[in-house]
Amino acid sequence: MKISFAKPTLPTEGALVVGVLEGRALTPAAVKADQATGGQLARAIAASRFEGKKEQALLLQAPAGIEASRVLLLGLGKAADFDALAAEALGGAVIAQLASSGDAVVTVALDGLEGSTLSAPEAAAAIALGARLRSYRFDKYRTKEKKEDKPSLKKVVIALDAHAEAKKAFAVKDLVAEGVFLTRDLASEPANVIYPESLAEAAKSLSELGLEIEVLGEKQMKKLGMGALLGVGQGSARESQLVTLRWNGGTKDDAPVAFVGKGVCFDSGGISIKPAANMEDMKWDMGGAAVVIGLMKALALRKAKVNVVGVVGLVENMPSGTAQRPGDVVTSMSGQTIEVINTDAEGRLVLADALWYTQQQFKPHSIVDLATLTGAIIVSLGSHYAGLFSNDDDLADKLTAAGKDVGEKLWRMPVDDPYDKMIKSEIADMKNVGEGGAGSVTAAMFLKRFIKDTKWAHLDIAGVTWAKADKPVTPKGATAFGVRLLDRLVAANYEQK
Amino acid sequence: MLKILFEKTAAGADALAVGFRPKKDGGLIFRPSAKLPGLEQALSLKHRFKAEEGDVLPVLAPSGWLVAVGLDVEEDQDEAALRRIGSNLFGELCDGGIEHLAVALDLGAEEAAELAYGMALRAWKPAAKYRSKPDPDDEWSLTAVTIVTEDPDAARIRFERLGIVAEAVSFARDLVVAPANELTPQAFSDRLADLFGFGVSIEILDAKALAKQGLNLLLAVGRGSANPPLLAVLRWNGGKKSQAPLAFVGKGITFDTGGLCIKDEEDMGEMKGDMGGAATVAGLIRVLARRKAAVNAVGVLAIAENMVSGAAQRPGDVVTGYNGRTVEVVDTDAEGRLVLADALAWTAKNCKPSLMVDLATLTGAVESALGKKRAGLFCNDDDLAEKLFEAGEEEEELLWRLPLVDVYDDDLKSLIADIRSCSWDDMAPDHIHAARFLEHFVPKGLPWAHLDIAGTSEAGDEEDGDEPITGPGPTAFGIRLLDRLIDDMVEEDEEE
Repeated sequence: MKISFAKPTLPTEGALVVGVLEGRALTPAAVKADQATGGQLARAIAASRFEGKKEQALLLQAPAGIEASRVLLLGLGKAADFDALAAEALGGAVIAQLASSGDAVVTVALDGLEGSTLSAPEAAAAIALGARLRSYRFDKYRTKEKKEDKPSLKKVVIALDAHAEAKKAFAVKDLVAEGVFLTRDLASEPANVIYPESLAEAAKSLSELGLEIEVLGEKQMKKLGMGALLGVGQGSARESQLVTLRWNGGTKDDAPVAFVGKGVCFDSGGISIKPAANMEDMKWDMGGAAVVIGLMKALALRKAKVNVVGVVGLVENMPSGTAQRPGDVVTSMSGQTIEVINTDAEGRLVLADALWYTQQQFKPHSIVDLATLTGAIIVSLGSHYAGLFSNDDDLADKLTAAGKDVGEKLWRMPVDDPYDKMIKSEIADMKNVGEGGAGSVTAAMFLKRFIKDTKWAHLDIAGVTWAKADKPVTPKGATAFGVRLLDRLVAANYEQK
Repeated sequence: MLKILFEKTAAGADALAVGFRPKKDGGLIFRPSAKLPGLEQALSLKHRFKAEEGDVLPVLAPSGWLVAVGLDVEEDQDEAALRRIGSNLFGELCDGGIEHLAVALDLGAEEAAELAYGMALRAWKPAAKYRSKPDPDDEWSLTAVTIVTEDPDAARIRFERLGIVAEAVSFARDLVVAPANELTPQAFSDRLADLFGFGVSIEILDAKALAKQGLNLLLAVGRGSANPPLLAVLRWNGGKKSQAPLAFVGKGITFDTGGLCIKDEEDMGEMKGDMGGAATVAGLIRVLARRKAAVNAVGVLAIAENMVSGAAQRPGDVVTGYNGRTVEVVDTDAEGRLVLADALAWTAKNCKPSLMVDLATLTGAVESALGKKRAGLFCNDDDLAEKLFEAGEEEEELLWRLPLVDVYDDDLKSLIADIRSCSWDDMAPDHIHAARFLEHFVPKGLPWAHLDIAGTSEAGDEEDGDEPITGPGPTAFGIRLLDRLIDDMVEEDEEE
């Protein structure tokens, strides 16, 4: 999808999109189009239930008097509520409505709105970002799709006076979108294509952007004592990997912020095997790792002025003659022992060693991990919020605020002492699951035991990593939830101005 | 029944509890009363006693039974710690042969009362009437406790207030533990008559009245049972006449089979306790009346039995609630929200409260989210939510706020009615759906909170560290925290 910015003139080809405020108030571009068509827009609105409310749309095919093939009227809601998220959603709606319309080009004519908190170029850049994010499609494995079933739309032109400024504002956002797309690609790929070594390769290819990549294999991890992570991978024919991606855009010797991702490339559950229904979803059980890799790409692309380290623990959890068994006791890199009660509670085992390694090796000032960790978080919060667990109120607030800004919402959950005894083991320092509910909380309590005194937050993204239905800026499928959120966290709090 | 006394000396007791603090480098610091001949030597044989808070160790010293108690706090003991110590003391010693324990921990009057309160909360067990002959394993040897303090009168005065709460907690626990063949809806309402003597006015809306007034959701849940449903309204008017009451609404399903969507045997076992919310509300009103709280309060209990029969409601039935909203009943086992919906709407309209809090053993999902440590708090008012959360922290009845936002409403859209009662997806956040459902029956602008106590209404496993201060069995969760909330609010009003 090509996205460009141009001066506001009525298009000579393709579709035209104009905005209408709540109360059927035409924006200046809409007025212009209305005049050119001899009042057809106003008549069409009057003849419909379209009131200009958010999420409303009205499509006019082949109106007379103008060259555009069709005019799409999109409701903007109230000008005062037209913020960045609303503008992004509008851009998403352009794609949703017109991607398969037959048109190859669409011109979105929208200048600044009086009363909106967004300037015209900010709004244009946000619309462009929304269009970009919504245009994602993972279709590489469709070999026989007919041309008429493929999207026709190739180009989005956003028309406004301050087009040069808009272009500049969008350029940075578009780099983040590239990170989002990488994450979505990685999560969408099947597990026979993306497995620990191939995912490590994918990460390695980012070194051309200036990222320092280091890959540890099983031998090196064994040497480091990562018995928890290795235990999970030992049932698979694929070799486990631990990948570090470093971006040193800040002052030398400044402590980095660290992001750690769970990368279970396929999770069969191991010997505690999952039921057959929906097991295919477990190809995206590396969603946390995919977010970290996509985020690191975005930060490198936009040359963020900050030191960041990303660490992903990559394994495949398979049942086999060499697989770990329920009841096995493993020794983690921290020295703490873990009784593995359920081999399907494997993500926390991988993270335990990855978190410890990250702290030992890089001494970060703050550490955020992401993991598709528990089914319980889906029951707890559904698919509208990710679970946020943190030992630091300030970090939790920063994350919540960043999530609000980009529309990736977090809900804080408890991670405190009353729950600690639930993972007491009869035989080892701890067990990997608790009983009696609060499955997401006990998972977080488990991770907390591998955090020294670093500021730490854990995002349980099991409910938000894969969308069952289209959302404004996310087609159904892999969402890359977390890339934009953490990019915003870094930009707002850790980057040098 | 445990008798609790406050005295200046330990006279008459057959065992003495004394206090220790751990030294930073190991070893013990003896509280003044613990400096007894021979005790140090007796304790030195027991190296494992670390005097961590609440640790209890009986030792046979030359002078007789001594009980070492850990008090791991510097100077000022906080309330919660003292209560927990009291609770542990009773839990550890109630059946060990000691009959009269004296507690000499060098406590001030307030502290002594708090410790006694912890004991009183723990000293409950199901009534003996359910056995045909006494079970010796079930008998307490410990029947009296003397708490030694310099100012026994002040301790007694303080404990009078706290003891009222402990008694109400026991009252509510008795209700919860009562089997469903005893505690039918009618029997539940009969038991409430107990409150009449304390100055509570009681109004019962029987099935006929419910039908007349249009509480069809409550009626629908009770239809399958031979024991008809009812709404019990308990009013305590201790405040100014002009003052709008605080309203508390409780789910009172005396037994929940699940209805036609019948539960499996494992889940059905504890369903006599599905009236825990209503029991808490009754207990709370009892506290307010007995302590003559300067407040107007109303407790509304929606009581029904959810049974399977030819008259039972079916999945897919559409029922018009008290406020005129139509509900498509999806799962007949999501019945609590139906009875609460009518109770909330009725209360809002007829009692015109200034705020409304409901309690219900509502969903399994809340236990998936928070386990047995914290109850789910859903609230349409940030200020009320904060006050509830804080009161919960102070009383160790812990809450956690969960989302009550419209993004979840799509899941409750019905094809044929205004709203459906739940979703069929078993991974759905049913506790959030339930709260959103209830919100449709609360007038806009009325501060309202919903506490989902399905996880916290029964004590968990001691092994998992799940045991609450009340010990094993039903907890009557919510009485202490709501009493605290009301106390704080009344005080705030008086200051204004």
